Amino acid sequence: MREDKEDQGISVHTGFPNPATDASLRSLDLNKLLIAHSASTYLFRVRGNEWEQAGVFDGDIAIVDRALSPRKADTVIWWNEHQESFAISAYHTIPAGATVWGVVTATIHEHRKIHP
Amino acid sequence: MNSKVFALIDCNNFFVSCERLFQPGLEGKPVVVLSSGDGCVVARSNEAKQCGVPMGAPVFKHRQLFERHNILKFSANFELYGDISKRITALLATVTPRIEIYSVDESFLDLSELPITDYAGWGKAVHAMIMRTIGVPVSIGVAPSKTLAKLAAEIAKQHDGYRGAFSFTGLEDHRREAALASMPVEGIWGVGRKSAPKLRAEGITTAHALAAMRPQHAKQLMGIQGRQMVSELNGVSCIGLTPEHEPAKSILRSRTFGEDTNQVHVLEAAIATLGARAAFSLRREDLLARRIGLFANTNRNKPGYRRWVRELKLTTPTNDSGYIISALVEQLNTFFSNRQQYHQLGVFLYDFVPEQALQTDLLGVVDIVNHDRAQARMQALDLINTKWGKGKLYYAAEDLSKSWQPRHDIRSPRYVSSWDELPEAHIV
Repeated sequence: MREDKEDQGISVHTGFPNPATDASLRSLDLNKLLIAHSASTYLFRVRGNEWEQAGVFDGDIAIVDRALSPRKADTVIWWNEHQESFAISAYHTIPAGATVWGVVTATIHEHRKIHP
Repeated sequence: MNSKVFALIDCNNFFVSCERLFQPGLEGKPVVVLSSGDGCVVARSNEAKQCGVPMGAPVFKHRQLFERHNILKFSANFELYGDISKRITALLATVTPRIEIYSVDESFLDLSELPITDYAGWGKAVHAMIMRTIGVPVSIGVAPSKTLAKLAAEIAKQHDGYRGAFSFTGLEDHRREAALASMPVEGIWGVGRKSAPKLRAEGITTAHALAAMRPQHAKQLMGIQGRQMVSELNGVSCIGLTPEHEPAKSILRSRTFGEDTNQVHVLEAAIATLGARAAFSLRREDLLARRIGLFANTNRNKPGYRRWVRELKLTTPTNDSGYIISALVEQLNTFFSNRQQYHQLGVFLYDFVPEQALQTDLLGVVDIVNHDRAQARMQALDLINTKWGKGKLYYAAEDLSKSWQPRHDIRSPRYVSSWDELPEAHIV
């Protein structure tokens, strides 16, 4: 019995196939998780400290999809004509008549920058 | 019936539209985009067109015009334009794989096999989708031939009422004829500066008149293309989507000087022009050259005929115009003498490797950062040159000895290609 086991141990042809060579197995891809429509997805830099309670910090990256129609609970990017700048807001709070530029699908906060 | 249906998707004032995407405040204002080095106007907003800014206008010649109308100038931001162009192509490829990327801002689709019944409606829907999801306006023309599709896109662009799309396919005869009659002959694909006056001299001033021409007569005026044009305008497709072609094995570009010359700057300028052209051909095929070279000779028919050839084997394969030009200018200096009268000069590239191979197989030996940077710059250069005809953007001969540095004083941020230049959104 013991010898058999040892034989199996050194044989390269028995046992489980190496899963790493199986083409159907793919590593997790953050792009797939975070980006539904790559053609219409753009990245923004969040500016301001007002949302720290909500876990969104100055300098975070917002992932913005233009292909989505905004829904009530969405966070959106809109063009603030008076300030001549982009704004990020809860959709239900944007001024009437403001045009939504895109829907924020995620924000990324780096706790420790690995690319300085 | 195996009639064809083509669509042309043409981005309106593409470079300006890309700038406006990230600066919506530019909407409604006269805006121009300038070529690298900020020499010439390469894109105009409709407002700038109305101010009378001509295409290709050198800025220094029109300074007053720019000031009087408060026209906003941007240096070309090719990384942005290239990225947006890719997005549009990616979106169109989901409609059909039968796509030809004709230039940075124009693509043809072959819709023949698709179950579409209302082509104008289809076009309006695609127009709206691109506007919403990518954020730039396009004009869409649908027709049984590419020439008519081009014309249809132009019609869609000119009339807001069509909401971005116009189709000759499925159009009643009288409306088709009226549309053709409204289009001047100069606007037809393939009618160039040479043929337009010839046609006008014959009283052929509109697309409608050209369509009614006898094919034989059109051939006499404009060659075989003229004949094709008449067929295409009558809805008979002669020009299909451009098929893939065999890649080149070597590229040679040479020039005989109008007058023999002993001037080093003439030779350098020739290297710049020919090198840029050769490198462009290489890039169009997604190839990199491992060997590049240069030859020059005096007049064969004069006494003392001489010929010089220099070759270089590169450690990093390249298709970068700037690199090729400066390397060859260096080679020129190894034999140039102002006592020689040079008659002819040529630039050649060979020993090609596919561009993709570089990024995988040869990863270890390639200076990826510099390569990618050069790559981005070259794509940018090609965008302009494919759009506006060869040689609109060129390497200034006086910069040859130095490394080529585009000026970017009024370039917008690299919104989509640099982490440090992402657009900012303020919490409100």
